[in-house]
Amino acid sequence: MENAKKFGMVIDLDKCTGCGACMVACMAENNIPFRADNTDKMLSISWMHVYKLNNRKLFPDYEECYLPRPCQHCEGHGGHSPCVSVCPATATDYDMDTGIVSQIYPRCFGCRYCMAACPYHVRQFNWWDPLWPDGMEKMLNPSVSVRMRGVVEKCSFCIQRYQQAKDRAYMEGRREIAEDEYQTACTQACPAGAIVFGDLNNPEHAVHQLAQPDPARHGHSKNPRAFRLLERLGTNTKIYYLSSREWVRKAGDNYLEGEFKSKAHS
Amino acid sequence: MKVDRRSFLSFILGGAAGTALSPLPWKLTDDFSIWSQNWPWTPVPQKGEISYVNSACTLCPGGCGISVKKVDERVIKIEGLKGHPVNDGGLCILGLAGAQLLYGATRIQTPIKKVNGRWQKLSWKEAITELAARLKELRAKGSAHTVACVAGSDRGTVPELFSRFLAVYGSPNFFRTPSIWDSYELALYLTQGTRSMAGFDIENADFILSFGSGLIEGWGSPGYMFRAKGLLRKNGGRMDQIESRLSKTAAKSDHWIAINPGTEGALALGLAYVIIKEGLYNQNFIDQYTTGFSDRKKRVIDGFPPEIVSKMTGISTGTIVALAKDFARARKPLAICGQGQGHLPGNLQEFLAVHTLNALVGNINQPGGVWAVPEPDYIDWPELEMDGVASEGLQQTRIDGAGSYRYPNARYLLHRLPQVVNASDESPVQVLFVVDANPVYSLQDTASVKKAFEKIPFVVSFSSYMNETTALADLVLPNHVFLERYEDVPVAYGFPKPIIGLARPAIEPLYNTRYVGDVVIQLAKELGHAIGAAFPWADYATCLEETLSDNWDTLVEEGYVVDAEFNGTDLADAFETDSAKFEFNNNEIRTLAGYNPVKAEGDEASYPLLLVPYDTMRLASGYVGSPPFLVKALEDTILTGSQVLVEVNPATAKQLGLSEGKTANLTTPKGAARVKVHLSNGIMPGVVAIPRGLGHTAYDKFLAGKGVNYNQLSSPVEDPASGHDAAWGIRAKLSRA
Amino acid sequence: MDSALIPKGVKRCPAWQFIMWIGANGAVLTWGVFALLLVYFKGLNQTNMNNAYGFALWIWADLAVIALGGGAFFTGFLRYIVGKDELKNIINYAVLIGFICYSSALMILGFDIGQPLRGWFIFWHANVHSMLTEVAFCLTAYFGVLAIEYAPLVFENRMIKKVPFFHNLSHNMHEIMAVFAATGAFLSFFHQGSLGGVPGVLFGRPFGFREGVLVWPWTFFLFTWSAAAAGPCFTILITKITEAVTRKKLVKDNVIDLLAKISGWMLFFYIIAKIGDTLYWANVTAPSKGSTFMDFYTSSSGSAYGLWILFAEIGVCGVLPALILIIPKLRKTQATLWLAVILAVIGLCLNRWVMVLQVLAIPVLTFESWFTYFPSWQEIATTILPVAYGVIMISTSYRYLPIFPQERELNPIDEPAAPPEVAESEPEPTDAGPEPELSPAES
Ligand SMILES: Nc1nc2c(c(=O)[nH]1)N[C@H]1C(S)=C(S)[C@@H](COP(=O)(O)OP(=O)(O)OC[C@H]3O[C@@H](n4cnc5c(=O)[nH]c(N)nc54)[C@H](O)[C@@H]3O)O[C@H]1N2
Ligand SMILES: Nc1nc2c(c(=O)[nH]1)N[C@H]1C(S)=C(S)[C@@H](COP(=O)(O)OP(=O)(O)OC[C@H]3O[C@@H](n4cnc5c(=O)[nH]c(N)nc54)[C@H](O)[C@@H]3O)O[C@H]1N2
Ligand code: SF4
Ligand code: SF4
Ligand code: SF4
Ligand code: SF4
Ligand code: SF4
Ligand SMILES: [Mo]
Repeated sequence: MENAKKFGMVIDLDKCTGCGACMVACMAENNIPFRADNTDKMLSISWMHVYKLNNRKLFPDYEECYLPRPCQHCEGHGGHSPCVSVCPATATDYDMDTGIVSQIYPRCFGCRYCMAACPYHVRQFNWWDPLWPDGMEKMLNPSVSVRMRGVVEKCSFCIQRYQQAKDRAYMEGRREIAEDEYQTACTQACPAGAIVFGDLNNPEHAVHQLAQPDPARHGHSKNPRAFRLLERLGTNTKIYYLSSREWVRKAGDNYLEGEFKSKAHS
Repeated sequence: MKVDRRSFLSFILGGAAGTALSPLPWKLTDDFSIWSQNWPWTPVPQKGEISYVNSACTLCPGGCGISVKKVDERVIKIEGLKGHPVNDGGLCILGLAGAQLLYGATRIQTPIKKVNGRWQKLSWKEAITELAARLKELRAKGSAHTVACVAGSDRGTVPELFSRFLAVYGSPNFFRTPSIWDSYELALYLTQGTRSMAGFDIENADFILSFGSGLIEGWGSPGYMFRAKGLLRKNGGRMDQIESRLSKTAAKSDHWIAINPGTEGALALGLAYVIIKEGLYNQNFIDQYTTGFSDRKKRVIDGFPPEIVSKMTGISTGTIVALAKDFARARKPLAICGQGQGHLPGNLQEFLAVHTLNALVGNINQPGGVWAVPEPDYIDWPELEMDGVASEGLQQTRIDGAGSYRYPNARYLLHRLPQVVNASDESPVQVLFVVDANPVYSLQDTASVKKAFEKIPFVVSFSSYMNETTALADLVLPNHVFLERYEDVPVAYGFPKPIIGLARPAIEPLYNTRYVGDVVIQLAKELGHAIGAAFPWADYATCLEETLSDNWDTLVEEGYVVDAEFNGTDLADAFETDSAKFEFNNNEIRTLAGYNPVKAEGDEASYPLLLVPYDTMRLASGYVGSPPFLVKALEDTILTGSQVLVEVNPATAKQLGLSEGKTANLTTPKGAARVKVHLSNGIMPGVVAIPRGLGHTAYDKFLAGKGVNYNQLSSPVEDPASGHDAAWGIRAKLSRA
Repeated sequence: MDSALIPKGVKRCPAWQFIMWIGANGAVLTWGVFALLLVYFKGLNQTNMNNAYGFALWIWADLAVIALGGGAFFTGFLRYIVGKDELKNIINYAVLIGFICYSSALMILGFDIGQPLRGWFIFWHANVHSMLTEVAFCLTAYFGVLAIEYAPLVFENRMIKKVPFFHNLSHNMHEIMAVFAATGAFLSFFHQGSLGGVPGVLFGRPFGFREGVLVWPWTFFLFTWSAAAAGPCFTILITKITEAVTRKKLVKDNVIDLLAKISGWMLFFYIIAKIGDTLYWANVTAPSKGSTFMDFYTSSSGSAYGLWILFAEIGVCGVLPALILIIPKLRKTQATLWLAVILAVIGLCLNRWVMVLQVLAIPVLTFESWFTYFPSWQEIATTILPVAYGVIMISTSYRYLPIFPQERELNPIDEPAAPPEVAESEPEPTDAGPEPELSPAES
């Protein structure tokens, strides 16, 4: 598996405007259903969720930051992602060749153990039948299957785009796809250019250069602006966040008093 | 055969074993599994040929390029057009959800008219004949000027067809919906003498000083502003936001400076004071290209020392002085204004004060500065031949008084229309066309707008959707939606270069809808004579192609034409004022050069708080209603269930005995609403903020009945300087429910 | 009218009273079934679960009911493997309670999934690394064992016994019952443990996560241990309740006392282990994930999880009942015995609640807050359903099957000449031990 890819993202929180375009791009790409009332976010499905963080200070020292959260495609140690290992029906999988945590909807029987396992609230359950208002089912993307009530779903890194890119390359007699041939819908849509996607294992790719993963430390970033969510739990995620604000970087993980050391020199 | 217990048991056991070994259970199991995965009500999208159509988005005046993804004859997704000068592949949340508007449930599928309060279908021919008859009758009565049109824009072939129709028919009453661009246009006209659009070279600036503009919340061309803000950042530029609430723009700025709402102009003048006092202005620019500086200087120095400005704005003198110095010392400082997404024109004095800041630092028609972008000039139709009725009708003063003695500088004052209609015994508007606008939702003081619309005898809506205005119309002539039609997109608000886009049909019209352009042309032909003659084209497509003649091929191929080389006019020729210079002062400005804050309506004793609206990208608040994906993506700190949350500072809430999530009554002089309270340290004490774009009464279950429409609670306040609606908020009271 | 079915030598309430009793419980059962059907046909949106609370009341009920049913395997273990012979007088009832608990658990598991029609995927596409897979396999297998242990008891019914086939089957089953009991104990050890493993392996959830040995986190062992310790308390409690309701003494004190004593010592050592586990977790595990102990016990808004819950579980419902049960005088006093078994049962349920629901309530991301949940009526009804089912099962079994071997001895029927059609009329020697056919679970 020397040629194994490890797809991942770098999301620059200094650039992210919290506009939500990534959420909707994902909904449109991945046939995510909607309901009359989607305000209870714990009952609603959105593979990408934009969190609003704040520095917990009072007016006027108060600051906010937006944090888009797709699936973190946790590698754990050796592909032991929190959610994959617990699924009793092997309905979700860690692909050693791409680093993508996939979800096989027709196999999932809805026990929700994986939801309990994921500390990021990435995994979401189809509490209702996905129904589209008359006529609106016309905009469904045939490259992504529609999920049924009672199964769990989550961000797939738009795996269908990878398959399509691979198909195209194969037809053209190429073995490898270029960086820009496989880009996720949210990356492509982000009007602020906050999301960068690519192969973390490939030094040519922008994600690698920004994330600077340290293989000796389970991918911990050497970039002082970078952090990963809940890195201390050993989830070994593939989404790296950048921020020049210390409180934001600190909000990415839990720290005991005095434990957090700022890496940035700024 | 005798069946004893033993053989019976063997039979049962053997049978069971045999069945288990046969393919039957496995087959049944498999079928069962497949059945459980194929519920008939779960849709299965059909596969097909994938194709892309490059087009332009017309959902806002942003002018983004889009690439419409299709599978056979279905539009499945809208993506940003890579390489487009405005948005370069990125797309806003609304544009991304555009396909939901195409397939939306509230589309009007055929012409309809209201008979005894109920909708009735009719054919296009009947509809146009009926409308023409009514117009003929009015014209014969000498009431041609009582026909009016409200349009979302006055640029591009569709609005121009309407205003041309009105002119040759005999009415001066064409209206454009209000926005900050009314004030920007005027500020540029007064100081620079040009009828042009303000463009902002954000990406090449190095210090953006925004007086409440929602740079990343839909101000100007959202597609461009998002991208440009990113580039500004990349180049190490700074951005400061002056606003009473920590908007997303404020949150993404280097400094958020909270200001008493409605006093932004004072701050601009206070900064000018420091810049002038400290001699930090651009001497070269002032000397060579401006007049009236000394007069301006005197007014500023006399009226706006930091101490006074500090009192008005609530910002410390130290901050004012430091900000002024930083601004003036930046390489490419750029000041911008216009609240939020820019729905309300605002205080002209404020725009002049802010525009003047750019002049002080000489950042006009410069890279990284504010540009006067010429209005598109491709619409060059034959001169109109007016008949007597037309000439007579055009002599009448406009219903809103724009251009009259009282409002010499204003071009459109739509907010006055309801007031005038409601104040008259008989409606001065007998027939009203509404195109690409939803005034019953988007004008302030909804109740009075509604009353006026009910009073107007005949309202014709060209909307594709059953929105609030259309619900009050008498005749609906539905347009194709943007994915089904050709249309020129003549402008990207705030974009620093002249650009024309072309929307192209990605799909055959789904319903019995029709280009509004065609309807105007057919209506004119039906009326005949001079009116018919003014529209020599067979149909709208011909009109559009002829109009865009030089650019047509490029537009069809690329989707846009941009004057990439545009770098303004040589400063020596840039100003079309009498002095041919940038005028800090002239006869018109003389009366405007001071600063009088526009007060929020309501008395302080009964309404101790200030209610201000805010904009979010996750809601469409213009004439397009938010499609379901937007409402879905809305934060639960804005909407829970069908209740809107208003932002209140915890200190204010404590005084009012309110806590997070509590239901409260929000009352203003104009109305009352039930809201929920969201505590936020990102808002000034004493201010309550409410999102715009909710509280629709029309549309479907995904939007209707959710939250409160701010316009229902507010009312216009006339800017004495321009006549425009300068309201920025309204006084309010919040109490426990 | 049903007297032909009632075991000889015991007295039962009149049929009308029995029917009323069953009817009342049947009504509750019907309510539960109605909720269950709603859930089946409309889906899990009938619950108040959400994406944060993917596991909620039902999974707790599941864990709790299995733990409480642990009395069956542990009593079986003591009876057959350790050889505590006196326990033969309570083993039938332990088995019955276990059977009810496990069938309830399976039923709950059956509707607590989004796609009930695919429930069998857990076997078909089994992922051997998943604790839930282990639970499913062992649980199902052990339920089979319990069914086999319970079946002979059913065959002992006076009417059924008349069929020679069942009579023989029952007899043959007795002979191999020890094998099943041993298998059952082994299976139980694993699935009780796997249930502990369910939260224990969640390394993304610091409150649930535990280190351990090999693939098993400490919770694996703690769950087995606690089920073995408090499960018998539940058996005792139900026995005591049955005695109270029937107003009869059904099991001799020495039997109860023995079980209570063993239970007490188990609980005592369990609670020491639990305290050790808590201390290790609080001082080593949690801080290594950046959290302080108190981060998990805030009583801030939205959280019902204060320190009280820990004191309740370990102190009031752990140490206290353990002490009562190991001190002979207190154990032999009815009031304190009652108190101890009730507390132990509550403690066990509390533990399962905390290990499932508190794990999910706690925000792990620093920018989230505590998640709240309150079950819907459908969840409550379907959770009460097994209780009604259990009452009906016990009542029916008690009425028609020879559950309590010591009943006749303890409750001699002094009116020998009853009407001939009444079965109990045959006098029984009051001093004789139970006849073999009255203790079918034994060989
Ligand atoms: N979101 C989402 N998830 C999905 C799906 C989906 O459509 N969407 N689809 C689901 C379905 S149907 C499936 S089958 C799975 C597929 O899931 P995977 O089986 O993970 O699919 P592939 O990505 O094709 O990975 C197969 C790997 O095998 C490697 N390989 C190829 N040939 C050989 C060989 O000869 N020997 C060895 N050892 N390796 C080889 C390839 O390099 C490739 O990395 O994904 C499932 N997951
Ligand atoms: N390049 C490349 N090609 C591959 C693969 C790869 O890894 N790389 N993987 C291969 C593998 S393993 C597989 S399984 C295939 C998968 O290939 P497909 O089977 O073509 O792909 P799916 O995306 O799984 O979707 C199947 C279709 O079924 C629809 N569908 C969803 N639910 C239902 C339903 O209830 N009823 C019906 N009738 N239709 C439904 C979906 O909307 C979708 O249109 O692709 C194969 N092709
Ligand atoms: S689209 Fe980009 S800027 Fe907008 S919320 Fe998503 S990541 Fe942030
Ligand atoms: S983020 Fe959650 S769902 Fe995604 S891989 Fe990690 S644990 Fe699994
Ligand atoms: S809900 Fe589905 S994917 Fe998740 S653990 Fe259960 S079966 Fe696996
Ligand atoms: S990577 Fe694809 S699936 Fe994941 S959030 Fe982005 S658009 Fe959605
Ligand atoms: S910014 Fe305006 S033009 Fe651009 S995609 Fe959004 S709605 Fe369309
Ligand atoms: Mo597959």
